[in-house]
Amino acid sequence: MTDTVQQTKSQFVAVASIAAELSAVMEVAKEISLAAANAKAIAFRAGEKARGFQPITDFINELAKETITLVNAINEHALLLYRLTVNEYRTSTAFDKFQTATKMAEGAQYQSSLQTSTEAVEQRMRECRKQFKRHVGQLLDQLQEVMHPARAARVIAANSRIEASQAGEYLLSLQAVAESVDRAAQIIHNNVQRCRSALNVINITE
Amino acid sequence: MKMTPIYEGSHRWIMFGRDTNKPSNIIDTNQYIVRTANRCLLMDPGGIELFAPMLAAVLHHAPVEEITDLFASHQDPDIISSLGLWDQALPKAKLHASSLWEGFIRHFGCESIDYVGIPDNGGKIKLESTELKIIPAHYLHSSANFHIYDAEAKILMSGDVGAALEASGAPIYVDNFDSHIDHMRFFHQRWMPSNQAKRDWIERIRKLDIDMMAPQHGRIFKGDNVKRFLDWFEGLEVGIAV
Repeated sequence: MTDTVQQTKSQFVAVASIAAELSAVMEVAKEISLAAANAKAIAFRAGEKARGFQPITDFINELAKETITLVNAINEHALLLYRLTVNEYRTSTAFDKFQTATKMAEGAQYQSSLQTSTEAVEQRMRECRKQFKRHVGQLLDQLQEVMHPARAARVIAANSRIEASQAGEYLLSLQAVAESVDRAAQIIHNNVQRCRSALNVINITE
Repeated sequence: MKMTPIYEGSHRWIMFGRDTNKPSNIIDTNQYIVRTANRCLLMDPGGIELFAPMLAAVLHHAPVEEITDLFASHQDPDIISSLGLWDQALPKAKLHASSLWEGFIRHFGCESIDYVGIPDNGGKIKLESTELKIIPAHYLHSSANFHIYDAEAKILMSGDVGAALEASGAPIYVDNFDSHIDHMRFFHQRWMPSNQAKRDWIERIRKLDIDMMAPQHGRIFKGDNVKRFLDWFEGLEVGIAV
């Protein structure tokens, strides 16, 4: 097995890991959105006591929506990386086999006729590799972008705790909302970091 | 990969098989080509494991640009899982295979090769002046299955019908039919599901003028052994697993 074939196997694992992490991020973003809706209902019931909390709930909801949109875009990109990996696996396997066949066909009348196909498949393999590299760079940027709402969510969680402390009997409910947003933001941060690590592993092995 | 010419006329038939470098845990297969002046048909080209030795062997007989046609008798991996590799090797080629299996066979990778679906009632493949008939052999063993008949060479490429499970390195031709039965019985009883399909196929095949019956596993039947096989197969109960 050539290094290139081995490389594409690592890519399959990395792309699958990213898909799994992103799926978890999506779930958590949906949970934040639900938490925002709950918080809004509590803040509405609390009335004057939670006046400062009401705009925060809208902001939490916006962050959740933004995260979902970004994750959808990243998912599309990850799917493209998967397709490129499939193509690269196919072309590198073919290149490998064509080279073996050429050696085995030593002395065959038409051995040289395989040359054009071998060059073409090598060219396609290189093109796949180039595209993959370019898209990995773009995906890393997108992952960096999705960290922003996660960071903002943590700040909002801290503000929420302050606002919750003034909400009288609604203190515990609103504190729970703040905790849930904070926890969700932390999970997103960790999962996205793991995506980045998986992509960096591919970059290192190049 | 052993190469055995089995017919020389206006065109040629060559059998490929008995690959001594094949991994021992995959079933031995026979591949066939029909070579005309400028074209080449590859029948049941084989699995991925076999691709490089098979391609290397074919290059003794045809350049890649003249390998214009592939035929898959059915969808099994030992028949056509190498398709994704042929797809990248052959600049202009057609795959003749069952329409019913198209969506399945394409999983092996078929982007540049043109998939020519064979309808249930069969058809023909024309290679320059050579015309080959595609004979339906449904349920023998696959639900959509075809054989190739060459009326000029009087050869029937019979896919899994006539197959035998033997140790590697077995002779190319059946020499003693009676002793060969032991290598064929279980294969046909267990892999072939339908007595009705078997009888229908035998009835149609008996009407053809056949000198040689060339299966995808095992040995080739010549002369009277073709008739012996048809008689034996007719009396065999198949579909024994239920």
